[in-house]
Amino acid sequence: MRSVSYVQRASLGFSGTLFPHAICLGDADNDSLNELVVGDTSGKLYIYKNDDPKPWITRTCTGMLTCVGVGDVCNKGRNFVVAVGAEGWFHLFDINASAAKSDSSSQQDSSVGDEQKHSFTQHIPANTKVMLISDIDGDGRCELVVGYTDRVVRAFRWEEPPDASDLSSGQLVLLKKWLLEGQVDSLSVNPSPEGLPELMVSQPGCGYAILTCSWTQEGASGPGDEDAANPSREGSSRDVVLHLTTGRIHNKNVSTHLIGSISRGSKDDSSKGGLFALCTLDGTIKLLDSSENLLWSVQVDHQLFALQKLDVTGDGREEVVACAWDGQTYIIDHTRTVVRFQFDENVNAFCAGQYACKEGKNSPCLIYVSFNHKIYVYWRVELERMEPTNLSGELEERPEYTALLHRLGVDITDTEAVRKLIGDVLYGNKQKHLTE
Amino acid sequence: MSPVKKDLCPFAEDSFSRFPSQSNIYGLCQAGEQELLAATLKGKVVCFRYQDVQKKIRPVAKEIQFTYIPVDAEIVSIDAFNKSAPKRGLVVGVTFIKDSGDKATPFLNIYCDYEPGSEFNLESIAQSCLNLELQFTPYQLYHTEVHCGDGPKETVFLLSGHDQSIHLYKENASLHQFEEQPVEKLFPELQELPSNVLWLDVLSIDENHRLTAFGCQNGSVGLSIVNQKGPEILQNWRVQHDSPISTVLLFPLPQQHQNTDTNSSQKETFNLLVTSAIEMGVVYRDVEKYGLSRQLCLAESDQCDAVLCALVVDLDFDGQHELLLGTYGQDLLCYKFPPSMGVSEDKLQLLWRRSFKSPLLSLIYIDLTGDGLRELAVLTLKGLHILQHSLSSTADLVLQRLASLVSRLPFTDQPIKNEETEQELISISNES
Repeated sequence: MRSVSYVQRASLGFSGTLFPHAICLGDADNDSLNELVVGDTSGKLYIYKNDDPKPWITRTCTGMLTCVGVGDVCNKGRNFVVAVGAEGWFHLFDINASAAKSDSSSQQDSSVGDEQKHSFTQHIPANTKVMLISDIDGDGRCELVVGYTDRVVRAFRWEEPPDASDLSSGQLVLLKKWLLEGQVDSLSVNPSPEGLPELMVSQPGCGYAILTCSWTQEGASGPGDEDAANPSREGSSRDVVLHLTTGRIHNKNVSTHLIGSISRGSKDDSSKGGLFALCTLDGTIKLLDSSENLLWSVQVDHQLFALQKLDVTGDGREEVVACAWDGQTYIIDHTRTVVRFQFDENVNAFCAGQYACKEGKNSPCLIYVSFNHKIYVYWRVELERMEPTNLSGELEERPEYTALLHRLGVDITDTEAVRKLIGDVLYGNKQKHLTE
Repeated sequence: MSPVKKDLCPFAEDSFSRFPSQSNIYGLCQAGEQELLAATLKGKVVCFRYQDVQKKIRPVAKEIQFTYIPVDAEIVSIDAFNKSAPKRGLVVGVTFIKDSGDKATPFLNIYCDYEPGSEFNLESIAQSCLNLELQFTPYQLYHTEVHCGDGPKETVFLLSGHDQSIHLYKENASLHQFEEQPVEKLFPELQELPSNVLWLDVLSIDENHRLTAFGCQNGSVGLSIVNQKGPEILQNWRVQHDSPISTVLLFPLPQQHQNTDTNSSQKETFNLLVTSAIEMGVVYRDVEKYGLSRQLCLAESDQCDAVLCALVVDLDFDGQHELLLGTYGQDLLCYKFPPSMGVSEDKLQLLWRRSFKSPLLSLIYIDLTGDGLRELAVLTLKGLHILQHSLSSTADLVLQRLASLVSRLPFTDQPIKNEETEQELISISNES
């Protein structure tokens, strides 16, 4: 198995402890460059920018932060930072506005009043675990989905009067509640074979469930009006479609992670369905498409606890990235080519994505939160290709190559002669070659 | 190359093989054409190569079980060579210290298979061992080709030790085994050494002459020009540095004459690179003519901790040499020799640097993938990194050069024409 060592890394200071989902990458201040958002168990929210070891912005929230997110929750066309605590406190921050303010005044933590003006707090049911900000019903507007430790998933929508001037007049409205059989370790959205978004949650034992958004079928008169009236109405069992993937018999209780909407790259437009991946703590990684066809399955002997997607080759196709507690990281492409990377410490939390660490632009990054007060950002983790290749392989893809060899009287199948010719052409001895 | 890109390392890592225990600066050697052997402290030798499976290549790092290396052995150095023509069989030497508690005993094991058909097979070579107990702690194991009297050339092992001397091991053809022979008979320049030699380098400059350089623990560097016939020392130089010498490296540089005399347009000068534990790296220029008098410092080479390894090769295919230094400070530094170096210049500027995860111990530039393009193998404390040139841009360059080869095919019988296009070729490659 090919393995690489990434070297370019920045280390950020982080003294707290965190839940595995309390870290994410996103454009928090809407400047088109991504920031790193981290929430700790004491309720502090940190936003890191560039390779600055100190947080760019710090906010204080109520309770233990279990999940953080960046997205257009309010459907205003720009991103907000969301932090949710275990006790059920939902925090919304408009970083763009407050950052602009603090720039004009002096520095960093703006005054308390200012902070309040650009933030919003609401209490939602407690025992939160995972969170997703995405369009789950295909109406083009983002919803907020929260997974709970008591095997419940709830979807919310941000509602506010049309003439609202700031965040204080809006609120989250419950759309639906689903009850699942097993623990939900990840939430994700994946395009169905028809191209519509489907909400997927992971289920123990390398399983997953598709949660249907029933409000879309009930002829929604106004966004959420009916549902908001009966928020306690539980989704019936037909709204939860459980799938257990076939193959090796799994420990049916093993914790499972899922990630959907893995990009196939531009050239494959024919199928609308998306790709999604599953990984388990006992080392299984699977890639499936939305029609439930298994593309590949990989078995490793490391305990995988985080699953992400990242385009490391720059070809538009996203690779699956799985990380184990001991730092072993697997990057696997759609054709099951594996590249390994060993991070040298135990990992507290992991995430992968685009981050503007250096050079003022986004680059693919792997981010590890260690157990000794540091967050390590490996930036520009690009690979020219996933498979080890030699120059002959690259040259044979060029149309003019064969013709040139033919003109020079070298047989392309004679690897020794080709090797000598290329060696001569690159490292001198050109004169010698000519006189031959 | 565009000026912005110039400061970037042109390599991308293709693979990294982690080793079970650390290695050292004497721990990497080339064995055969496309294979590397790396020795790790805890008695393990790893063979690295690329396997070709159905048109796909895979990096493979496999442990080779060299016989007679006990489990409690700690490997000091490894070296391998192909015997001089016409025999060509592969010989591997491993020095190690066996520490059985009461007394540490050093050994030199020489592996070589005489069975026809298995002279190149590492697995079977690893099974036929000559075990020599040493009376000194071994350091660098080196090999070089030497004239033995009137006979054909032979390749011999040179092993430096903590007894302030260098020991020579030569094959006794009639007995089919290696034995220690007095070093002064073949290498008169390697006797009465000032201190323990940490690094030795020998370069043959023409049919009859060789340059020998060595660097010592106490900082002294010796250089000799020797007439191989005899052998006879023609000239000897010594210079004292302030700290232990980590590497000495002799290398030729093409010297461009400014005059229009076309006959002597290319002539080689011989240069000596000396790196030490705390000082800046130094290149002594044209040592054949000026000895150790013309220094050229390598800027910033003292900023990354001790320099442990060095290499002079053409990395960007323009015919000019680049100089690579690997440091304990986990950096790989690259310097470029300008096409025409003025006499007054006394410093080389850093071209690019690349960081690694652990200290760099050894460098080899070798074609591992069998495509004519060489890869840079970097041995670090943690394992072996293989760095590959960017394939797409190198392929562009190859196609360009092949096209220009094709374009002058009708003119091959007019050598003067060739000379011109040659210059053109180089200028094209510089712009690309």
